[in-house]
Amino acid sequence: MTLEIARSPMPLPEEAALLRRDIVEALYRTGGGHYGGSLSVIDVLLTLYRRQLRVDPAKPRDPGRDRLILSKGHAAIALYATLRRLGYFTDPLTDYAQFGSPLEGHPDMTRLPGVDFSSGSLGQGLSVGIGAALAVQATDQQVWVVLGDGECQEGQIWEAAMLAAQLQLGNLHVVVDHNRFQEWGWRRPATGAQPPPIDQLADKWRAFGWRVLEVDGHDFDALERSLGAACSAGPSVVIAHTIKGKGVALIEADPMRFHCDAVTAAEHAAIVRSLS
Amino acid sequence: MKLADHCGQLLAEHGAREPRLRVLDGDLADSDGAAQFATRHPDRFLMAGIAEQNMVSVAAGMAEAGLLPWVFSFAAFLCYRAYDQIRVGLSQARQPVTLIGSHAGGLSGRNGKSHAAPNDLAVMLSLPHLEVWSPADRGDVELAVSTILAAPAPSYLRFPRTPIDEHGLPGAAAALRWLVPPRPIVLVSTGLASRWALSAARRLAERGIEVGVLHCLRLRPTGALAAELRDARRIFVVDDHSTFGGLGSLVHGLGLPATVTTLGWPQDFSGQSGNDDDLRAAHGLSDERISEIIEAALAAATRG
Repeated sequence: MTLEIARSPMPLPEEAALLRRDIVEALYRTGGGHYGGSLSVIDVLLTLYRRQLRVDPAKPRDPGRDRLILSKGHAAIALYATLRRLGYFTDPLTDYAQFGSPLEGHPDMTRLPGVDFSSGSLGQGLSVGIGAALAVQATDQQVWVVLGDGECQEGQIWEAAMLAAQLQLGNLHVVVDHNRFQEWGWRRPATGAQPPPIDQLADKWRAFGWRVLEVDGHDFDALERSLGAACSAGPSVVIAHTIKGKGVALIEADPMRFHCDAVTAAEHAAIVRSLS
Repeated sequence: MKLADHCGQLLAEHGAREPRLRVLDGDLADSDGAAQFATRHPDRFLMAGIAEQNMVSVAAGMAEAGLLPWVFSFAAFLCYRAYDQIRVGLSQARQPVTLIGSHAGGLSGRNGKSHAAPNDLAVMLSLPHLEVWSPADRGDVELAVSTILAAPAPSYLRFPRTPIDEHGLPGAAAALRWLVPPRPIVLVSTGLASRWALSAARRLAERGIEVGVLHCLRLRPTGALAAELRDARRIFVVDDHSTFGGLGSLVHGLGLPATVTTLGWPQDFSGQSGNDDDLRAAHGLSDERISEIIEAALAAATRG
């Protein structure tokens, strides 16, 4: 049977709003976590799963499926919220990173259906994507890899970028969640300025032989068009300009504080209000 | 010919029957055995560039998508350079990638310490779910390759740089093989060092000391190693590896009644340029020195 895209029963902005609420609830109830990077990447993940990936949640390891490797594994809860919504599993998201749950702190392909490859140690997902893309090269299957911009400081990303360009892999596509923040970064206390993890990100990918598309990572129509365009030739990278903590005023205003942290009951109430 | 070349040759032959087979190499194909496959199956050979971390993760991605990737490089560049990628992509993700590490152990010829891997087993034996093989002759390589192809699992095969494939060791290849039948005194060894152990045993026999020699082809899972050694009264591990973390540590960990002594590379040895004989002599690992040390230890035990 041909695999199909699992289209959303509702407009993507509405579905994304539900996922954001799932994410913050799960993080709050399990002691905190990566708020910023999960809220910045969720629209990208949702659009990929609802507009690009041909998968069957009932057959998560179907060899004929498209693949999505979340290389920035610290946004695991965003992936889990999306996969659960698609019906890959029914475990409550509030089991996240709790003992005995398959919803490990970082994605574990040996535990949770729908995780196409384990991640968490940054910088390895693009290489894994090359391997998968080579394996399915004779088919029309597509391989997507979602990277963080901070993650692009890992040398292995650029080893992989060079090889993918050398091999001219047309079925390998990257989305970089370019939210412009990382855990600590090069803070400049005197000015309050915070340079992005990687300067001139698009130029660097171009220099490595990639076709670069840039898009607002929270504009669903634009995202859909860019992801579609990425498939026309490759290797292509979509640099998704995103906002760390998108949708929650409190986090958007202080992304460093909420990179990975627990929140108070009052803060949680404010976060939930932002998303209502 | 080196044993790693023989491994490449075998894979090239299997490649004709096994379409899922792939070989990746980090630009050392003419030194690490991969060339044999590259020449015969260029469409299924990936020159992955001088980027071992990427290469190992690429192989893991291939394995997830149903291929059977074999990754060739020097042991040092796989075990050390790409350790995290092996940890995540093979051990944790449990992907059936096979790693072929040439120039394993302490002897790297003129290359010296940067290319030596005198503690490869220490790092690889400690990874969960990784199977470890240390062949000493062609029969060993054939058994390892056919076993892995029949039941693919995350695997590491260590090969010596020294060309030793001309002469097989006594007996038929097996996970554990008695090169000299068991005696109360047993030498336990693996890989290249099984030749050192056998030679030492022959020297000892000439001096009236009979010892058994157990060659371990497969180190993980350890299988029947403890059972084979249960009756030994005195064990000497002979190892082309640091005395810490290799076969010596593995045997110590079995909790056997016998006293265990490990003869291997000193723990402050990182590798050095030089031929095998000079390096072994300088570190107490010549055939002659190994037999002398064992004889002296046995004499001391008798006196004590």
